[in-house]
Amino acid sequence: MWLAPLPLKWKLMAVMLLTSGVVVILTLATFLAYEFFTHRKTAISELSSIGSIVASNSTAALAFDSPQEAAEILAALRAESQIVLAGLYDEEGNVFSVYPGGAADQLPPFNNEQGYALKGAYLEGFHPVVEGDVRLGTLFIRSNMAKAKERFQLYFILSGVMAVGALIMAFIVSSRLQKRISRPILSLAKTAAQVSESRDYSLRATKENNDEIGSLTDAFNNMLAEIESQNRELQARHIRLGNMVQGMGDSYFSLDADWRVTDINHRALAQMNRTREEVIGKVIWEEFPQLVESEFWKEYHRVMEDRTSASFISYLERYSIWIDARVLPQDDGVAIFYSDITKYKRAEEEVRSFNQKLEAVVAKRTRELEAANQELESFSYSVSHDLRAPLRSIHGYMNIFAEEYGSKLDEEAMRLVNIIQHNARRMGQLIDDLLSFSRLGRRELMKGTISMEDLVDSIWDELRKEQDGRDIDFTRATLPPAFADGVTMRHVWTNLLSNAVKYTGRKANAIIEVGGREEGDKVIYFVRDNGSGFDMQYYQKLFGVFQRLHSQEEFEGTGVGLAIVQRILHRHGGTVWADARPDKGATFYFSLPRR
Amino acid sequence: MMFRILWTCLALTSLQVQGSNAAAQVPDEYKVKAVFLFHFAQFVEWPDDSFSRQDEPMVIGVLGENPFGDYLDEVVSGESIKGHPLQVKRFSKPEEISKCHILFVGVDGMGQLRTLLKDLESRAMLTVGDNPAFIRAGGMIRFFSEDSKIRLQINPEAARSSGLMISSKLLRLADISIPKS
Repeated sequence: MWLAPLPLKWKLMAVMLLTSGVVVILTLATFLAYEFFTHRKTAISELSSIGSIVASNSTAALAFDSPQEAAEILAALRAESQIVLAGLYDEEGNVFSVYPGGAADQLPPFNNEQGYALKGAYLEGFHPVVEGDVRLGTLFIRSNMAKAKERFQLYFILSGVMAVGALIMAFIVSSRLQKRISRPILSLAKTAAQVSESRDYSLRATKENNDEIGSLTDAFNNMLAEIESQNRELQARHIRLGNMVQGMGDSYFSLDADWRVTDINHRALAQMNRTREEVIGKVIWEEFPQLVESEFWKEYHRVMEDRTSASFISYLERYSIWIDARVLPQDDGVAIFYSDITKYKRAEEEVRSFNQKLEAVVAKRTRELEAANQELESFSYSVSHDLRAPLRSIHGYMNIFAEEYGSKLDEEAMRLVNIIQHNARRMGQLIDDLLSFSRLGRRELMKGTISMEDLVDSIWDELRKEQDGRDIDFTRATLPPAFADGVTMRHVWTNLLSNAVKYTGRKANAIIEVGGREEGDKVIYFVRDNGSGFDMQYYQKLFGVFQRLHSQEEFEGTGVGLAIVQRILHRHGGTVWADARPDKGATFYFSLPRR
Repeated sequence: MMFRILWTCLALTSLQVQGSNAAAQVPDEYKVKAVFLFHFAQFVEWPDDSFSRQDEPMVIGVLGENPFGDYLDEVVSGESIKGHPLQVKRFSKPEEISKCHILFVGVDGMGQLRTLLKDLESRAMLTVGDNPAFIRAGGMIRFFSEDSKIRLQINPEAARSSGLMISSKLLRLADISIPKS
């Protein structure tokens, strides 16, 4: 619309002027049209009534053939200046009389038409002359409309003048009225322009009325207040953020899309050894050309393009430092947070190399230890094995000696021979135990699910047969099955049960209990007796090889049994432990991992 | 009407129908007078009791010598005034005068005329004549010639006293003459 580019006040005025103009023009047009049509109608009606009067008056003149009279009657039309021509026709259509006199040639030829019509500037028509029922003739009458036309033209001019006057009035009134509407809007617009120009959000528009513009002003002011408070909050946040950036341990700087430094914190400046003024607005790659094509360069470019953050650790050879950097897209550019982790990197290096050294030492030691162990084992095996042959000879020859020369020896010699035989046997026993102990270390474990209840029962059956008349109260509770090597487990149970039998030997009413339970990922079994027990003070010696808590005289034994038990259980990933008090019995526990 | 008369004349003369002589014999003067007689019917008002019926004929009587021949009959033939058809009656003697509205008195003798008109005074009858003393004798309308035109002399008082109203339009055309009684 053509109004669109106009200022508001002109729009308002245009609207008012258009409205009033349309109203004025429509009113005047209506008036003129009305005037035109009524005038025409009035003119016809007037002429018709004049015609009627003249016709009525002319009847007698026509009836009694008196043209003078007719002329007199027509001459009365002088009073009507607009009537320029009139004439009477007799019944046969001959001209009877004419007005003004001598204008007969102007009369139209008679025809039988009736009524009035406009013909050019004239209104004219034929009117029948009738008296009673008898048609006596016809009247022709012609009226000049020029005057009416003149009057109409005058009306037209007056209307135009009125319209112009009305529009001028409308212009004056509207130019005053529009101010009432436009002033608050213009003042609002002015305030808005000021605000956007000066960015001073503390400005407020003045409210003039309580209309819609008033509420618009209120809304505008509220918006300004909102913006102001948000600005304050934003500024505060900006300062907080700045403080954070400046105060944080990392170095920070940000770049715009053209790689210019837009912000930088103290730590980064200190690291670069520059001042803020030297760096801000500079293109980073021009300031630090050595970084071009570096990992930094590549990562910055990648973040700048992909707008996804990156995190990397890079070594700057030129400065011999390690940098841990995070690059984040920010506005059009990127933000870089980084720290010098050279110290940590060095420490890490040191720890790693120390660890490596340590591992090497441990491995070496382990190898040495394994070798020593191997040696020791093969040594003890070979020693035991090699010792057995001479011992067997000693034992064998001692038996032959006792049989062959027993009768020749006296009692004291026989006692000595017995002592030799006994010790040779005992030594053989020791060597056997040692051999089995070292064999156990090499034996492959064949693990499977085994019923500990069956195992314990069969072992107890054998052990009971060896007891000659001892009365032992043996109870075996329900035992969970175990996942273990059957042969070595038999060894464990045999050892523990025979120990219980052995150390209850001096009790009149010996009690041996066997039990077990599942506990977490382990199964635990125990053997409890009410035998002689031991002092927990010596517990450390309990599972050592050849370590004994009782004398040979008190209880027989080589001191290898519990060491073997411990070894077997360790090889199964289990443990063995004990709880005892002297003369109050002992309880031996062992645990095995469940499958 | 004139047209019809002309047409009739033309028809009569050309076709040689019986009576054409009579029409032809009527002088122009009487033709005009015949027409005038007819027109009087339009410009005169009779009292309400002149007509006993709505369609009772309006009678134009001719007393004495008939100077109109058949022309008057032709003029009024088919015409009517306010629903009253026009009729022509001829009376040879005053005694014969029956009910009529317009009477053309073709009587010459002054004394005779005066007596006759006196007799007719009480009857609502428009008396017309062309005797120069007709008005003086008590008649209402007299034809006279002036500059070769037929003109009228009217005594409105006589008409009024008989209960007749003569239209002012007619009066305007005529010479008004009220004889001293």
